[in-house]
Amino acid sequence: MFALLENTHYQRGISIAARTVLWAFLLLGVFLTIFPFLWGGLLATHSRTSMFSSAFVLSFSDQLFVNYEELLRIMPFWLGMFNSFKVALIGTAVSLFCCSLVGYGLAVYKFRGRTTLFTIMVCSMMMPPILTLIPYYMIVSTLGLRDTHLAVWLPFVINPIGIFLMRQYTVASVPKDLLEAARLDGASAFRTFWSIALPLLRPGLATLAIVQFVFLWNNFLQPLVILTSTEQMVITQLLRRVQGIPNTPWGAVMLGTTVSILPLIAIYMVASKQMISGLTSGAVK
Amino acid sequence: MYKMTPLAAAVAAVAAVAMSGAVISQEIRFDGFPDYDSQINAIADDFKDVSGITVQQLINQHGGHHDRIATTLATGSGLGDVVLIDVGFVGAFVDGGGFIDLTDRFEPYRGNYPEYAIAQGQGSNGHQYAVPVDLGPGVLYFRRDFMEDLGYDIDEVTADWESYIDYGITLRDEHDTLLIGDAGDIANAYINFNVESGNGLYFDADGEPLVTNERFVRAFELARTVRQEGLDGNITAWSEDWTTGFQEGTFATQMSGAWLLGHLQNWMAPDTAGNWGVSHLPTGIYGTWGGSFLAIPAQSAKPDEAWALIEYMISEDVQLEGFQNIAAFPAHTATYDHAMFEEEIDFLRGQQARQMWAEIAENVEPVKPHRGDQIAESLIGTALENVLDDGMEIERALQNAENQIRRRVR
Amino acid sequence: MTQKTELTGTVPEAPLTVPSPVQQEDSRLKAFFQKGTPYWFVSPYIIIFGVFGIFPIFFMIFLSFHTWNPVAGLASMRFVGWENYTLSLTDPTLWHTLWNTVVIALLSGLSQHLVALPMAYLLVSLGHRARHWLTTAYFLPYVTSTVAVSMIFYIMYAPESGIINRALVTLANGQITGFLFGWINDLMPIRWLQENSLIRYSISFVVFWKYVGFNIVIYAAGLTTINKELYEAAKIDGASSWQRFRFVALPLLKPFIFFAVTLTIIGNMNLFDEPYVLTRGLQQAATNGMTISNYLYRIGWEWLDMGGAAAVSWILFVVIGIFTGIYFWLFGREGLGGND
Repeated sequence: MFALLENTHYQRGISIAARTVLWAFLLLGVFLTIFPFLWGGLLATHSRTSMFSSAFVLSFSDQLFVNYEELLRIMPFWLGMFNSFKVALIGTAVSLFCCSLVGYGLAVYKFRGRTTLFTIMVCSMMMPPILTLIPYYMIVSTLGLRDTHLAVWLPFVINPIGIFLMRQYTVASVPKDLLEAARLDGASAFRTFWSIALPLLRPGLATLAIVQFVFLWNNFLQPLVILTSTEQMVITQLLRRVQGIPNTPWGAVMLGTTVSILPLIAIYMVASKQMISGLTSGAVK
Repeated sequence: MYKMTPLAAAVAAVAAVAMSGAVISQEIRFDGFPDYDSQINAIADDFKDVSGITVQQLINQHGGHHDRIATTLATGSGLGDVVLIDVGFVGAFVDGGGFIDLTDRFEPYRGNYPEYAIAQGQGSNGHQYAVPVDLGPGVLYFRRDFMEDLGYDIDEVTADWESYIDYGITLRDEHDTLLIGDAGDIANAYINFNVESGNGLYFDADGEPLVTNERFVRAFELARTVRQEGLDGNITAWSEDWTTGFQEGTFATQMSGAWLLGHLQNWMAPDTAGNWGVSHLPTGIYGTWGGSFLAIPAQSAKPDEAWALIEYMISEDVQLEGFQNIAAFPAHTATYDHAMFEEEIDFLRGQQARQMWAEIAENVEPVKPHRGDQIAESLIGTALENVLDDGMEIERALQNAENQIRRRVR
Repeated sequence: MTQKTELTGTVPEAPLTVPSPVQQEDSRLKAFFQKGTPYWFVSPYIIIFGVFGIFPIFFMIFLSFHTWNPVAGLASMRFVGWENYTLSLTDPTLWHTLWNTVVIALLSGLSQHLVALPMAYLLVSLGHRARHWLTTAYFLPYVTSTVAVSMIFYIMYAPESGIINRALVTLANGQITGFLFGWINDLMPIRWLQENSLIRYSISFVVFWKYVGFNIVIYAAGLTTINKELYEAAKIDGASSWQRFRFVALPLLKPFIFFAVTLTIIGNMNLFDEPYVLTRGLQQAATNGMTISNYLYRIGWEWLDMGGAAAVSWILFVVIGIFTGIYFWLFGREGLGGND
């Protein structure tokens, strides 16, 4: 689809020098964004003594396996990863459905209370989560959902950010005449949404999937108060609870932190492919 | 609603005791922060043999653990049966009514624990809600080799604050070394361990804030002198520069609790073994850094089993075990007669440091806690920052702090 | 896209035949469903918000008129009227932390979008593969937990052993670079996180670094929804690549810009984790590094005055509301687009 932008006319327009500068700039950006991760990975191979010495240079050390054993000793690392994966995956799948449904509804239909609903939604984004922690805990307790994964993802499937995003995508990329045509053909409202609008929203859905997955994966505050048994705990919780200030096994923590980012990168790669396929298969005419 | 809870808890306790005849194994949960997980792991089996009670644990990192306590106390459910509380939070927590009154249960044992630690676990009504499990007797760690280089003697240096600062000036001029990592430590030590008798830390007996009195002004002046003379490096504790500072001898002294020794020799600066010593704080005042408490939430359904665990954890033998396992300095004073306390510590060039710690632990003056201590502490911290870093006048900074304290402590 | 056809759930379908009784029943049902259609669509929000969202709001309104020490349990709430609000509104620290928040929000927010927009445009024009890998790299900071990121930066910012200062020193002492950067030596060690004069910039940089990639991805995804024929048409009309960006891409990106900027405003005004970790739990350079959310946490969770914290959170809410409101009022018509 963007063959246009890649074609020779376009490229000839930019001189070689400009392109070199451009690439240097882009790669510098890459360096700046990934450096802390490389560095974190590097630290994962060090013991905490050598990590904090000024003799520390940018090199790998030999402590990786020691750190890994330490990591497994102090926490059920892979169980935590699995729990995080489960929570994030289910939560993301459900919220993709809910957010696109609601966002589409808000974008396409005019109905009584729409503005109110939208206003409430935007306002609810402004509530500081730290303070709503106590009432949230009270609700979860009342519903008997303490120490369940459900309580950790369910409240977030209607993430206002996601609904807002889907609403904006619908406005931008679902042509109204297409929907009108579907309605005249006798397709039901849900069917129109499901088979006509949703495919067009694919890049947006992919973006939302990333946002939601990252949020659920990194969420700490809610799991902290809800999940109490070690078998239920998510990885953020496990990694943070060993960071009692004086005696943190930093090597193991750095290793755990670095490994715990990998699934997020994988998810991003998958979703990002979707964003591209969304634009090649999209039927925007 | 919460006034009902003790009754409800009592009923539940009776039920629990009645049931324990039928059910052989009981289960309770210990909520704490690291390293107490290692200690619980080490003692859980023995405890089960003695009492038939299985201990589960919920360990969270320090900050998260205390946030979680507040949330669960607020809503009246979800907290474990035995809770570990850091000294920094104990004053704020014990007065809320969320914990069981342990006065009677603790009575037979209290003679074995330092008076100051007992006072820290008491509510403003004088009842015991939390009992001390470990202490943090405070000392001045110092580099012996630097002192030898410059021909100083530790007793001479710590005679008073002026001589301490003089030593710092010599260090700066002749040794190119800092006196201390952070000048703020000096102010805090002075404030915390020179409390006038009859007064609390920040409030007098009538609840009036004291923060503009002589003690605070002097503390701030000392810290400011150290900063202005360039004797400190504004190095925050537990930062990377702090760790490196120990390894490289960037600073010559550091005030801290007994527990710092373990960290120094295990990982922070193992190569400096033999170069360190410990001493009383300047002017010979007794101070503490850290310490932990155990308490039973009113919401616990098994207060008797919970008390059994506490009783076990504060008993002489287990206290010694804790000292060995996780370097938690025992709160039980009878342990100080144990052979372990005679040991000469190589890292400190053979000094019998544990005896000094024991002496300190037994001599710290009790200070009556006030519900506004937490607020006053952070506002005084800000005032100190304004004086040291931003050059604000001491009187003005303290006056600001006092105004804020009056507004916030309601 | 320019067409303004309204789709509403209330437009009845024209009956094709005279309905039989059964069909009549059927169509009544259908009509019911059709009337309710928009509500079916938004029902997940209404249900879940009803269960998890409404109670906290009322709880916090209620709380802001009481004093409450949470560790004393629910029964210890005491009604104080507007006291929490008057106390907070006359608290100089509150206004100072609000100012800190606004400064950090502006510094990090503006730079994020000013960099992300042209970057996204560039990346999209580079083609699939380059874009894919580059956005992945740029997006990396966003996927890591804020706490981990802040911790890594905390180590990098260290005055003596931190890699940033060590790089600067190397630069200042280098044979070639020393000539240009020698003056840096006079400033060493730079206390990025300990000096009240620097802390806002240091925090802003971390926030910028973390979220710029997120905005690039939002904008890149937005750009891909733009119809290629529009570019072609513009090019045939002789538009330069800057003009194509300015007059074709930018206007069509409006819903995305609107979305992303709204998120930045709200997110930055609620900023909590980065300043909290970088000031070491509000222990250093807290005067200028503490945001209003941090202050809220301090009041509620450290000082255990939940009523006071609730009042501050409503004040913050109103402030964000005003900012967002002004923004919606200025740009909402274009930004929300399409259906009014």
